[in-house]
Amino acid sequence: MSVFTPDLISGLISNFIQFILLLLLAPLSGGIIKKVKALSQKRKGAPVLQMYFDLWKLIRKESVVSDTASWIFKVTPYIVFSASATAALLVPVTTLLPSAVSGDILLLIYLLALGRFFMCLSALDTGSTFGGMGASRESMISALIEPSMLVSVFTVGLISGSTAIDEMMAAMRTIGNPLLHPVYILCFFAMIIIILAETSRIPVDDPSTHLELTMVHEAMLLEYSGRQLALMEYGAAIKQLIFLTLLVNLFLPTDQLIALAGISGASAAVDAVGVAGITAGAGAAGAVTGTAASAVSAAAVIVALVLYILKIILASLVIAVTEISTVKFRFFSIPNLAALSFILAFLGFLQYFVLGR
Amino acid sequence: MMDSYFDILSALILLSSFLLMSHKRIKSYIKTFRIQSSLIALTAGIMGMDSLIREGSFDILIVCVIIVLLKVIYIPRLLHRTYGTVEYKVEKDFYLNIPLLILICCGLVVFAYFSVSNIGSLDGAHLNLQVVNSLSVILIGFFFMISRKKAIGQMIGFLVIENGIFVTAFFSTHGMPFVVDIGIFIDMITAILIMGVMVTRINEKFESINLDKLKNLKG
Amino acid sequence: MGLFLWLTPLLAALLSIIIKKTKLLHAVSILSATTLLFLAGYATVAVTANGTLQYPWFWNLFYIDALSVILLDIVAVISLFVSVHAVGYLNGELRQGTLRESKIRLFYLLMHTFLFTMVLALTVNNLGILWIAIEGTTLASTFLVGFHNDKHTLEAAWKYVIICSVGIAVALVGIIFLHLSSVDLIDPNRALQWTVLYQNAEHLNSPVLRLSFLFILIGFGTKAGLAPMHTWLPDAHSQAPSPISALLSGVLLNSALYSVIRVLSIVNKNLGDSHFTGRIMIGFGVLSIAVAALFILTQRDYKRLLAYSSIEHMGVITLAMGIFTPISIFAGLYHMINHSLTKSMLFLASGNILQKYGTRNITGVRGLAKVLPVSGTAFFLGLFAISGAPPFSIFASEISVFLSAFAEGRPLLGAVVILLLAAVFAGIAAALFRIFFGEAPDSCKPGETNLPGAIVLILMLILISVSGLYLPAPVKELLTSAQEIIAWNGTI
Repeated sequence: MSVFTPDLISGLISNFIQFILLLLLAPLSGGIIKKVKALSQKRKGAPVLQMYFDLWKLIRKESVVSDTASWIFKVTPYIVFSASATAALLVPVTTLLPSAVSGDILLLIYLLALGRFFMCLSALDTGSTFGGMGASRESMISALIEPSMLVSVFTVGLISGSTAIDEMMAAMRTIGNPLLHPVYILCFFAMIIIILAETSRIPVDDPSTHLELTMVHEAMLLEYSGRQLALMEYGAAIKQLIFLTLLVNLFLPTDQLIALAGISGASAAVDAVGVAGITAGAGAAGAVTGTAASAVSAAAVIVALVLYILKIILASLVIAVTEISTVKFRFFSIPNLAALSFILAFLGFLQYFVLGR
Repeated sequence: MMDSYFDILSALILLSSFLLMSHKRIKSYIKTFRIQSSLIALTAGIMGMDSLIREGSFDILIVCVIIVLLKVIYIPRLLHRTYGTVEYKVEKDFYLNIPLLILICCGLVVFAYFSVSNIGSLDGAHLNLQVVNSLSVILIGFFFMISRKKAIGQMIGFLVIENGIFVTAFFSTHGMPFVVDIGIFIDMITAILIMGVMVTRINEKFESINLDKLKNLKG
Repeated sequence: MGLFLWLTPLLAALLSIIIKKTKLLHAVSILSATTLLFLAGYATVAVTANGTLQYPWFWNLFYIDALSVILLDIVAVISLFVSVHAVGYLNGELRQGTLRESKIRLFYLLMHTFLFTMVLALTVNNLGILWIAIEGTTLASTFLVGFHNDKHTLEAAWKYVIICSVGIAVALVGIIFLHLSSVDLIDPNRALQWTVLYQNAEHLNSPVLRLSFLFILIGFGTKAGLAPMHTWLPDAHSQAPSPISALLSGVLLNSALYSVIRVLSIVNKNLGDSHFTGRIMIGFGVLSIAVAALFILTQRDYKRLLAYSSIEHMGVITLAMGIFTPISIFAGLYHMINHSLTKSMLFLASGNILQKYGTRNITGVRGLAKVLPVSGTAFFLGLFAISGAPPFSIFASEISVFLSAFAEGRPLLGAVVILLLAAVFAGIAAALFRIFFGEAPDSCKPGETNLPGAIVLILMLILISVSGLYLPAPVKELLTSAQEIIAWNGTI
């Protein structure tokens, strides 16, 4: 018997579709945020799709590399992009579709951390002062935010009984409304702060600034140009979308609503996936969901995808509003923010112990 | 269902005291205190509606109205006024840095958890959770008082302790007897008024409300 | 009749707002205190006859039994002495120009409110109201502590209001837990009622009750000045005007301990023995005595010395309650009476000394015997009495406490405490001789300035000396029935 069972193949195909979807959508959420910010300042702003144009323009341009740069500088854009893209492969857009790749959330976090590590190295590599400054700041922020990220992820993992992303998402569907539960609501707020820090958003970093005193992420990209810059920026956009997807799929699950609405075939899939997510191990889950997949109708999947896109837009709006309504923190206040996000996650963890699932 | 709302509210009230701990300016203290009091009023409101429907008693709703009038509207305004009369320069108000303070508060929550879970006979996970959260609010209030140098910070710490006690009473026994609740309110408002006057006087005599200057009496 | 116990001080407070003439204010104050004494006497007679005094109004709120009536009598007696002394004291302050005449009204207003809250605390059945009254005592006396409104008194008053309010808040947590331990058992209309809780003590939820006792002991212990929560006490007692110091030390500390004792008896009845509460109470008691002894030995300020001595005596009473045998409880209650009388006499005398010499420093006071014959003698003998020397009453009660410790089979405890008390005695005696003898500074003209105060001091001195030798039978009876209230069947 061949390794490629029909289930595996259909799972791989659905994974690939979701992967492509993520890659395609990635520049969009940044565009929405920028547009909302522009509108709030009574500007017309760039079109929502501006980042696609930018990327397209940059890819056709030639890269200029400094004489002092070593090979690290040249490989980093590829590493950053492929780390983000690999991470994107692990994140299911909807739990209704079968999945053949079951990724652990820790793998995802450290894949992204790998990209960041190389980004910092390359920023140091050229010997420019801004790059060094940006790298040191970026490492500090990521070191500060990492504990809270791990604690909140583990808390969600504790409740769902797994750290595999698709199983976590499947388990969260069974909880009803997670935002009415003290554990989740705390982890949710922690996650929002984490996302703001990880995706270089305003209280932590200003993505639109090029002022040397304040820039963090931009400072590291300063030496890049052309195709390499395009890859770096695209990698960052994918990373942002991955985090948003995690947020909306873990804390605002909607797939069970589709089942409730009775769209044909979906309920069977939800049941099957729900059971698989909680009881079965990682390997078996793929197989079971694979069989269930045949029951999922195209309509249910399309509704799920539309809901997903709506949720992403909503999350982008939330981030945009946060950016509008806050100011960038002084760099030395960022530990306070990180501490706040840590206690949110930690309190959630503690509430889990007091309360149970 | 009711319990899950109270769980969330207790968690949010606890969260608001953490927020208070992470603030640097007295104005933000007052704002956070107002948020916390509103959450408590909301709790009392939900509980009051519940008891009105079930037993037809207005007691808790009256308490809720008093909380809104007193803690959400009057006391924050009073604090703003006191602050306005005494404060003309911004100084650092705490001894340790904020992340450390917050981590210590985390430790306090763990402590509250262990001390309550050792009782063991509190029935039900929900009650346990709510009591842990509200006890932690009290402990954080204490710690807030210790960690701030200024007189107004101490007043707010005291108010947070009072808030914590109130929610403890609400969550564990659905409020104290009505007369006692009213008496506690009277005491509290008197205490705050007295402290407000004291702050003004301290500011006159010491030309600051920094309590580090109050160390003439020793031994 | 009982209602007048509440109304009299309230009425006096109200009149203090209205009346403008100083002499009339003095008269109202003394009249009110006399009425209070009369009413307390009535309550005592009623309690001796019937066991309790209670009325059906206000949800059975009003309740007096032998335990509360003892403390009520202390309040009444001392408030009369203090208000007589205050007349002379305030006039002295007016003469020296340290006090404006307009502030006398405020003084009396706050003092009578303070008395009202203390009487309220001692005459209610509901632990919640008891808490409110005790917190009320803090609030009413804050401005009395900060009465002179200078840097030192402000600091003392701020510490007082903050530490005591917070401490009392802890006690409220304890009361909430007490309520929690009984909430399924007791009719909500009678919730937190002391008598009901006591009757049903065996059925309360023990673990919650234990936690509640800890909170309540720490909370009211702060107010009673137990170490290590005592830090407000020396400041407040030394900076307050002397009549107020007398009230704070002689009456307020007792009221706080009274609340602890009420809860203590419920908890002990629930647990069936006093092992749990005993260990904690004895620990706090010994620590208080030790801390006080340490500070008394190095003290340079005679009002602070008296304040630390209050901490010591609160420690002794706590210790006695911790041992929890019939003898020790009896001795503890007796000690409460003796300490209150002696300590308030000392504070009143110290007020006269302070007015005369204008310093709180022990080294600044010389030749007291010549300068102030009456106050000086009272101070001298009082200090002897407070350090536990015979033939005064404190000696009698203190020795019974130690004897009960030995009888209970805790010789080590008794020995340690006696050692500490010896240190206290040494500290006080060292201060004493320097003050009393020697040449007076030239600036001090001999002669008493506060005549009513001097009479009061003589009366009090007689009281404490006589009660050391002879305890009247009715008092003994009252103490015994109070002791039976605390220890439910006279054992353990």
